[in-house]
Amino acid sequence: MGRFWSLLFLSVPILGTLAFVLAIAGVGPFRDHWLPENVNDYGGVIDQLFMFILYLTGVIFIGTGVALFWFMWKYDAEKNAKPAVYMHGSHALEIVWSVLPAATLLFIAIYQMNAWADQKMRRPVAEAGPDGIEGTEDDVLQAPIVEVTGRQFEWRIRYAGKDNVIGTPDDVHGVNDLHLPVNEDVVIQIKSMDVLHSFFLPHVRVKQDVVPGMKQFVWFHGNKSGIYDIVCAELCGWGHYKMRGKMTLESREKFDAWLAEQYAEQERSGFQPKTGADEND
Amino acid sequence: MRTESIRSRLSHWTVRDAMAAGLLLAFAAGCGSPQAEFRGNLVYVKRKEIEGQTSFTRPQSADMANILAAYFGTPDDPHLPKVPGVDMGPLVDIERVKMSAGKVASDKTGQPQGLYREHCVHCHGITGDGLGPTAAFLNPYPRDYRMGRFKFKSTVKGQRPTHDDLKKILHDGVAGTAMPSFKVLDQDEVESLVHYVKYLSLRGEVERRLADEVVELDEGERLVLDASEKEGNAEAFNGKIARLNEIVAEVVQPWLEADGLAVPIEQRSAGWDDPEAMAKSVARGRELFYGSIANCVKCHGDSALGDGQINDYDDWTKELEPAKPQALSQYLALGALDPRNIRPRNLRLGIYRGGRRPIDLYWRIANGIDGTPMPAVPMKTPENEKGLTPDDIWSIVDYVRSLPYESLSKQDRQLPQMTRERL
Repeated sequence: MGRFWSLLFLSVPILGTLAFVLAIAGVGPFRDHWLPENVNDYGGVIDQLFMFILYLTGVIFIGTGVALFWFMWKYDAEKNAKPAVYMHGSHALEIVWSVLPAATLLFIAIYQMNAWADQKMRRPVAEAGPDGIEGTEDDVLQAPIVEVTGRQFEWRIRYAGKDNVIGTPDDVHGVNDLHLPVNEDVVIQIKSMDVLHSFFLPHVRVKQDVVPGMKQFVWFHGNKSGIYDIVCAELCGWGHYKMRGKMTLESREKFDAWLAEQYAEQERSGFQPKTGADEND
Repeated sequence: MRTESIRSRLSHWTVRDAMAAGLLLAFAAGCGSPQAEFRGNLVYVKRKEIEGQTSFTRPQSADMANILAAYFGTPDDPHLPKVPGVDMGPLVDIERVKMSAGKVASDKTGQPQGLYREHCVHCHGITGDGLGPTAAFLNPYPRDYRMGRFKFKSTVKGQRPTHDDLKKILHDGVAGTAMPSFKVLDQDEVESLVHYVKYLSLRGEVERRLADEVVELDEGERLVLDASEKEGNAEAFNGKIARLNEIVAEVVQPWLEADGLAVPIEQRSAGWDDPEAMAKSVARGRELFYGSIANCVKCHGDSALGDGQINDYDDWTKELEPAKPQALSQYLALGALDPRNIRPRNLRLGIYRGGRRPIDLYWRIANGIDGTPMPAVPMKTPENEKGLTPDDIWSIVDYVRSLPYESLSKQDRQLPQMTRERL
């Protein structure tokens, strides 16, 4: 019976590894379970970090699993008549298993600092400040092109419009349907109207909690046109699952045309009912 | 001793077996989810009873339920009334209704089923009575479809909404309420839900009309005759059926007409949004806002903060007779939600429930808002020289649209400071 338990333990690293391999390969029931395609120039570093940590923890996971199996197999009580031996600890071993993880964690902490700063602190710069040098404190930061406000249970959208300022009469309002230009830095201002939400754009590796009363900015540099997801990544109430949106990345010309069209519709000042011919479409 | 222990063992196993069998049964039966059923409009029936100082007999109530089931089916198997002379075709498509009905599922091709229960039911309820499990937590309460009345539409107050009006609500949601946007659903799915909402509305309206009808009956008289009574009594039997069909036809008719009743709006002359013309129009709108004809100020308040009157109710709440505590308590006991006052809109928030397009606001002002105290403004006609012209309405629209950006205190506009602004 003892051997059975050791095999059961062995199945954990085997099945775990299998699940990851199948998910990365995208086969069978694991299709579409891996990370979606990254379409953000600044997103690669997130993926690298993710993969690095995955490999690191993966190796430790497999090692631990196999070691557990090996001990249980080798020292199975039914096959071993020898009594157990007790020891009073090993100073050398303790130093190894303290210093090694500490060094690893420190390495990850330093390795990720730049990525974190790029994602959360170094908002794209529009132009150099009064001193005329880019990269200094007085740089003019890029203004947000759009404001997205989380609300139970939808994403309300407000474009800055022609004057590039959010909160003026020429803003373009929308909901759940976000269009953005591709191949350029895009800054989004995010807020919440009620409770904690999390603004998550999986394809550009952007995820940020939105907190009531707090204005935050996220940015990315899309490099592939297409339609992508907006989801809420923080359980925000009974309708959390409904908080889905659609992000369309398209060329600047198409985006400008779309925005102009939205504005024209928003300012629509005339209505003629459809004629009988196309009444029942 | 030995026999006793065996007996206790036996009984032990029996309990276990029974539990296991019970669990299996529960799984087989779908773990206790009861069959979805339409709920009777008990509040309206009670109201009719109080009004008519009568009480519906058991056969009368059963007749109502049976007639509704015969005309409209069940939540899992809906169908449309087949009434001679009434073509439901242009109004509701039963195939689309079926896509939204029933349990949440999808068929082999991935076509979703049970959309209403997936997206709507927890607020609007299986019957469309606005009494879903989450309804009580919302302000405003979700819409009760059963009066067939909807607030944000292109038709005049009192008329039914057009198909496109309902679709717009599903697309854009109702800003400022808990109704979210369903823009990212497939167009087919949105279309299906619109048909389902109409289906529930028609059913709810017919139910109300049946209750009205019961009050008119003589004591003990029923809405239909039993099949056994048909013998030698065919005329009365058929007469009852004809009357019921007539009721359905009367309910369906305004819906059929609605699609042709969207109020056209003459395109504004070019240049209306030039800054100078706009400033003039806003000034004129302000005058009208405070004037005695449009008299917006009466409800929306001196500062347009929506505090001119705060004691009124919408028509759905008025049904609960909030002024009569005794009647009200009876309705509440039947599941109605606590009445709340309807507040005139605060026009300085820049949140427009029925849409922010100028034409949306034009319709609100020119048509009034169904089910609420918001009236349609009087228009200028040969008989009514004092009424407003379309240009006047446009001026009010311009003024209302300028309000969120106008300073109340005439000082420099102070942008709200966020508690903490990152970067």
